[in-house]
Amino acid sequence: MPKFDAVVIGAGNGGLAAACRLAKAGKKTLLVEQHNLPGGVASSFRRGRFEFETALHELCEFGSAENPGNCRKTIVDEYGLDINWYQVPDNFRVITTASDGKTPIDATLPSGRENFINKMEEYVPGCRESVTKFFDLGAETLEAGNYLTASGGKPDSKVLQEKYPNYLRTAAYPVNKVFMALKMPPLAQDIMNTYWGYLGVDADHLSFVQYVNMVCLYVNHGAWIPEKTSNELTTGLAERFRAMGGTLWLNCRAEEILFDDDDRVCGVRTTSGVIDTRYVLCNASPTTVYANMVPDRLVPLRDKKLLPNRPFSARMFVVYMGLNKTAEELGMHDYSYFLPSSADSAKEYNNLKNIDTNHFNIALCYNVVNPKASPEGTCIVSLTTTYTGDCWRKIDPKDSVRTKEKVASEMIDWFEEKTGIVIRPYIEEIEIATPWTFCHYASVPEGAAYGYELRDWDSMMPRMMMMREEYPLKGLKFVGASSIRGDGFNSAIFSGDTIAKLTIGEMREEGI
Amino acid sequence: MALKVKVSLIGALDMLKFKNLAKTRREAIEKLQPKELPKSYVTNEKAEFMHPRRQDVRIKAMRSNGPDAVTVTLESLDGKALAPFRAGQYISISVDADASTTTRSYSLCGSPARSWKGEYDITVKRVEDDGFISKFIQDKWKPGMEISISAPQGHLYYEPLRDEKKVLALAGGSGITPFVGMAYAIRDGYEDFDLTILYGSRTEKDILYRAELDEISAACDKVHVVHVLSDEEKEGFEHGFLSAELIKKYAAGAPYTVFMCGPQAMYNFLDGVVEQLGLDRKHVRRELFGMIKDPWNQPGYPEGAHAKTYLARVTIHDKEYTIPVSSSEPLLTAFDRAGLCTPSRCRSGECGWCRSRLISGEVFIPEKTDGRREADKEFGYIHPCSTFPLSDVVVEVPGQYQHK
Repeated sequence: MPKFDAVVIGAGNGGLAAACRLAKAGKKTLLVEQHNLPGGVASSFRRGRFEFETALHELCEFGSAENPGNCRKTIVDEYGLDINWYQVPDNFRVITTASDGKTPIDATLPSGRENFINKMEEYVPGCRESVTKFFDLGAETLEAGNYLTASGGKPDSKVLQEKYPNYLRTAAYPVNKVFMALKMPPLAQDIMNTYWGYLGVDADHLSFVQYVNMVCLYVNHGAWIPEKTSNELTTGLAERFRAMGGTLWLNCRAEEILFDDDDRVCGVRTTSGVIDTRYVLCNASPTTVYANMVPDRLVPLRDKKLLPNRPFSARMFVVYMGLNKTAEELGMHDYSYFLPSSADSAKEYNNLKNIDTNHFNIALCYNVVNPKASPEGTCIVSLTTTYTGDCWRKIDPKDSVRTKEKVASEMIDWFEEKTGIVIRPYIEEIEIATPWTFCHYASVPEGAAYGYELRDWDSMMPRMMMMREEYPLKGLKFVGASSIRGDGFNSAIFSGDTIAKLTIGEMREEGI
Repeated sequence: MALKVKVSLIGALDMLKFKNLAKTRREAIEKLQPKELPKSYVTNEKAEFMHPRRQDVRIKAMRSNGPDAVTVTLESLDGKALAPFRAGQYISISVDADASTTTRSYSLCGSPARSWKGEYDITVKRVEDDGFISKFIQDKWKPGMEISISAPQGHLYYEPLRDEKKVLALAGGSGITPFVGMAYAIRDGYEDFDLTILYGSRTEKDILYRAELDEISAACDKVHVVHVLSDEEKEGFEHGFLSAELIKKYAAGAPYTVFMCGPQAMYNFLDGVVEQLGLDRKHVRRELFGMIKDPWNQPGYPEGAHAKTYLARVTIHDKEYTIPVSSSEPLLTAFDRAGLCTPSRCRSGECGWCRSRLISGEVFIPEKTDGRREADKEFGYIHPCSTFPLSDVVVEVPGQYQHK
């Protein structure tokens, strides 16, 4: 029977990072993936002469080679991934109606803190002070986060109180509460709220710490994307894993986690045989793993309480289009367009529950940043929305084609109407991914690629603080969007890296 | 000025709230009611129904359908619906011929309504250059036998967000099959577009599906069929090849999209026709090219490389095999012959199901059937169905497993 120090199940961003970290520490590691390529939702596919990026794949906290962020330090410097990257020049353009229900918003926000603040003051005169405070608070939050990570979850409360008092005072609140405390003008709040769609929870329930972290990382370091789609990132990480001595089995499905008489992990049964190991890191939903791969008597009571009551986060719907005109010819000058029907995120969150009321739309034009994204004379545009409920559960498979065509067509209309940019006549290739598609390719429950909602008490901070008690079964831990940090490429990567380090520590204690 | 932000009136309460984040979460979890964990989800079950990894079916009936052609009706084992398809899509079937296992793709040529009754139709025309698989199927398959097939796949279908309302389908020989499916789909209300099929055959007696196509076009004014005979001149038939003039004649001035399906020689001929017509790529869609049988005629194939035998070391998870391979045939053909049971579907370089890692060795990949992702090229991945070895090679191939 093959024997490994650790088995990682699932080669999404989280599983790849965990596998790389374990291999780098010299652990004999097997990474199994049920599909024939790594990546999960971080991948690509081809149609005609186009290759489509599958995900909203901007990496934050990446930074330049001269001024690297933690993400670059981890995957480039430590794992050794050597690929070409592009920086996204502007953070986003948002076109919508303010929460007052009438004021139109059309704002383009650049990266770089000063540029961003100046632009905000231009759009909402008088907001400079509150937005500056937002970024100061963000800087303190980032430092506090680094301190917390460095302290291994055991911070000195004196240090926290002396150095990070503002962080401590805001960390338990949702976004809108802190915006009010900062006395940010409502219109500025509306614009500053734009990224909520990336996290899938509205500003009334989204943790401020998590949000300010994300915004500051994007603004300070800019967003970065790999030249040859997410497949270059994930296949690249798989190659680094192998180069560091790891073993990758594609088209291999883990079916059962095996436990010994002391109820600790002793192996994994896969479609390619039984593997002997004492550590399993799952890049899969704990809900489905506990339900289908662990004996019921071993499923911790806390998880029988927590998991079935935990709402799943965003279910994705994406329209991928290869157009036979260049971005310039079409008049597309921005990389990302956020096109919610309203800047009122709580209202919008509710609208996203149903197919008929969902008008959210994030449009990306890859060629604006990466001229090599598609052949000369063409460009690629994707339109993404998310559902905050299980409306796709109700669709009859007989109506699936008609429904997805209708939603896609309305999204194209919405994009054209909001931006004034015509794309429909130039569609050379089109593919539509529904929550069902994400069920199929990423095997995520309900097509929820973002894991569980980062809502109220279940946000990133308390999850991170409870890292050591989150996975009570000995030898079994979870990485990826359903893990300790929630969704996003960075969060998935860091969850894998952190949980792997925790595992390496346990191995040390056990003398492995 | 030092930053001082507090949310509640008393900052110390904010701090306490932070300190208690974990405690609050712990208590919130404690208060929840334990429930049974769901074993599956409705959305995922529907996705699995739409896109099964494989389907097991029974041969229900086989009937002769024109010269050398046999139409096979497949049925689900439990009488329930098979995965639905869009007219024009194909299935990849798994064929156990003697000691080897291989796959072949066949267009679904019945109405999309059939899948809901648990049935698919495919038509297998006997050809000489397909490794004798069509002959094997015609001779050895019998009603009652069970076989494994893929989910429907492929991209030769009408897409209202992309295609013109008028579609000119150019078919050659058994390339008529996807268009028969489309004609049924229009008749049965699954699709809504105007389909004119220009169907090239050598002689009148070589026409497949003639009666069905006549019946559909009589019943449905959105479907038109024009027979084009190359080797015969007869009244009521067009004569010659599928030329630019003929296409223009039947397009009749309306904007149109061209779909084509037929043998490789037809595609090569039609490349020139499309250029003559000045059609852009948006308006030209082609079925799978198929395996390239003459790599030595493809641009970039090294001189003198033809018909050399080499060894391939093939790793599949923890198993290893060494097998002979030839520079004149794709690696996948050698894998099949050796009975390795490696994954494959389209056999045209396109679908990526056979995606494998080339660890060492020289290979030739014809540009025409190079459907790899850009980063895969960078990291040394190949699609063995469109890769010809030019030296000894070491290849790592993903495994294959049965779902559930």
